[in-house]
This record gives sequence, structure tokens and C-alpha cells, in this order.
Amino acid sequence: MEQFLQSPIKELIGRFPALGTILEDYAIGCVPCSVGTCLLRDIVEIHNLSPGDEEELMGRIAAVVAPGQAVAVPRSGRDRAAGPGKVSYSPPMKMLVEEHRRILRFVALIPALTAGLDVESAEGRGRILDAVDFIRSYADRFHHAKEEDLLFACFDEGLEILKAMHEDHRRGRACVQGVLDALARRDAGGVARNLAEYGEILTEHIRKEDEILYPWMDRNLTTRQVGELYARFREVDETFLEAGERYEAFVRSLEGQYLDAVAEVGR
Amino acid sequence: MSGFSGCPGSRMLEFQKEDTPEGAAEVRIASQLRQWPIQLHLVSPAAPYFQGADVLLAADCAAFAMGNFHNEHLKGKGLAIACPKLDEGQEAYVAKIRALFEEARINTLTVLIMQVPCCQGLVALATEALRGSSRKVPVRYVVASLQGEVLQEDWL
Ligand SMILES: [Fe+2]
Ligand SMILES: [Fe+2]
Repeated sequence: MEQFLQSPIKELIGRFPALGTILEDYAIGCVPCSVGTCLLRDIVEIHNLSPGDEEELMGRIAAVVAPGQAVAVPRSGRDRAAGPGKVSYSPPMKMLVEEHRRILRFVALIPALTAGLDVESAEGRGRILDAVDFIRSYADRFHHAKEEDLLFACFDEGLEILKAMHEDHRRGRACVQGVLDALARRDAGGVARNLAEYGEILTEHIRKEDEILYPWMDRNLTTRQVGELYARFREVDETFLEAGERYEAFVRSLEGQYLDAVAEVGR
Repeated sequence: MSGFSGCPGSRMLEFQKEDTPEGAAEVRIASQLRQWPIQLHLVSPAAPYFQGADVLLAADCAAFAMGNFHNEHLKGKGLAIACPKLDEGQEAYVAKIRALFEEARINTLTVLIMQVPCCQGLVALATEALRGSSRKVPVRYVVASLQGEVLQEDWL
């Protein structure tokens, strides 16, 4: 069984498809994850189930992958948990979660932004370039840089879950490059496709961070680290103050323009 | 259900504990205190041990209730203690906690209180100080049971 605990989850689900359904029963959504390199051991630990649920889950997994063998993931060192089911973020994590809200407000506007897009006109192209600027400056340089340079640096960079997060960031960047390439070709379909894919990647990525990664990190950061991260994040915010206001105004103006259209699409 | 209807903070309770058996090894636990004074009226935010520190603001009763207070809660931190129920001059407390945020530029503040309702007053003092402070700092609170177990902990 130990070998299964050390295996990447996508590989296990590939070999034992029933695992995907079992994990979903415990709100562990590994099946739609596009990366899937996290180890089963880390996934069980990171989701912080109650001891009873964890025992039951491991029993069900064992019955599928290694019938007749009992398994458990040691719970030691995980006692600082605020308790399963309740998500409460430390102040630096709250800052990142608020940034996610702004990014998701933008992502929600992508369908309306690209509907009937005219890439022949300078005005239409400008609209896409503004969106790319928001993604590159706000979502990537500002938010992802906080994560990659400061937050993730508090943890062992060899952790599969961190590699998966880096991979999501990389795929997001590739989509943005795809948008620019399509725009240069005056290919409205390509622009729309790449932006839609960016929206899907980020939506799933933010869900993983909000629900799984950040709560796990909060349980493992020391009080000292929380204070230091908060101070460093605020320093970044200071240097980005004027830009932060500009990007909030950008999202708000897009909402003003497109929210009716979004409601229309949703109807 | 007892007929007690007064203040839960003053309610009399007795906990049955086994004495340590005769001859059993008594482990000497080293003190983690690294400063003096510790009472909130007496401490100075200018003291070197507060500069950039993680600070513990503990209710007076907490250290007596918690068997592992030194290792689990005090270790590595600057300390101030106070009683939000009985101490005089609590406006000065708000100003002093604020000075810890603004002048001592502390890294974090952990407020350790007992589960009795009056002890929430200490969290309220810290919240008020944070609201009035020009410099924001992560503030965490930990609630201990009368028998010293951690019942709840969270960030403000
Ligand atoms: Fe991220
Ligand atoms: Fe993020």
C-alpha cells in the first residue's frame, strides 16, 4: 500500500478509475484537475478530513488498490488545524483570496468580451490588449509573483502540489501568449479560444488554492511566517497601489459595459 | 444543571486530578520567559525584546491553567499579561497595544484568553487597538478551557 501512497493521483485514477468516484464522495476533486501529479499521501493530508472520514476513505481506497491490507496516513503534526470543514484564512491568505475575487470577476466577463469580437478594428484589438494587460500585470506579475516569490518560498519547492500550481501558472501564461499570437494573425476565434481556456484554467486553479492549498498552508505556516508574509505582501501592495486602483477601475468599467451581456448569456 | 446563575468567570469549580505518584521522575521544564516586567501597564513598547517580535498578550489566568504554557505558547515570543475584568485604566491598554503595532513594529500579536465570557474583553482591547493603528499586523486569538485545553484559535 505504501507504494500507492507515494504515487501521483492521476496515475492511480488511470489504473483504478473507481478511486475518482471515491475521492469525490469526500469532496476531493482530483478527477478534473489538469495536472494530477500530487501524491495520494499528500492529497489525504492536505484535505484535512476528520479522523473518522479519513479512516473510512483510506479503507475504501485500500479495498480498491490493495484488497486485504489496512492503511492509514499518520495524522501527527496536523493538530494545528482549525478543524475540518471550516475555512478561515490568516491575514496574508485573506489578501490573496481577495485578489482571486477580482481575477474571477474579470474571468466572468471573458465570454461577453469575446462575443462578436472585431479584431480588424483598432478598437477591438485595444479591448483585447487591455484584457491581456490586466492578466499579465495584475493576475500574473502582481498576484502570481506574490505566490511564487513569497508564499511558495516558505515551503519545500519539491512538493508535487506546488509543482502543480506552478504548472497552472505556466499554462495560463501560455494561453496569454496564444491570445497575442492569434491577435497578430487577426484570428478572432483563436483569441476567444485562448481567453476561454485561460478562464477555465484560472477558475479551477483558484478553486484549488482557496479550498485546498491555502488552508493547508495556513495549518503549516508558523505564526512568525504569517507575520512576515503579511508585511512583505503589504510592501508589494504599497508599490502597486496606484496600479491596483487602476485595475479595479478597469474591471468595474468592464462590468459596467458587459454585465447585462453576461446575464443575457447566462439566461 | 447546577443552580448557579452568577458570573461564569467567578463560578467555583474543582477539577479532580491524580497527584504525581511518589518517586516518579519530575521533569524540569525550563522557563521560556525572556524579559521583565510582563504586566501590560509596566511593559514599554520601546523595549528591545518587542521590536519586530511575535508578541503574546495573555490573560493573567492562562499561564496557570495551561500545563504547557511555556513551550506551546510563550516560546520565542515577547510577553504582556493583563486581566480585562479586574485591571484599572484599560484605555491605557489600548494605547499601549497600539504602540506595540506602530512603534515596536511587532510581527504578530497572539491574544491568549480563558473561555469565561469576561476574558473576551482582552480580544476586544486588541481589536480596538488594531482598528486605531496606522500599521496593520496579523492578530490571532486562542481560547483556553479552564483545564488548559485549546478550545478555539483563529485570526481576527
Ligand atoms: Fe496560483
Ligand atoms: Fe492565486
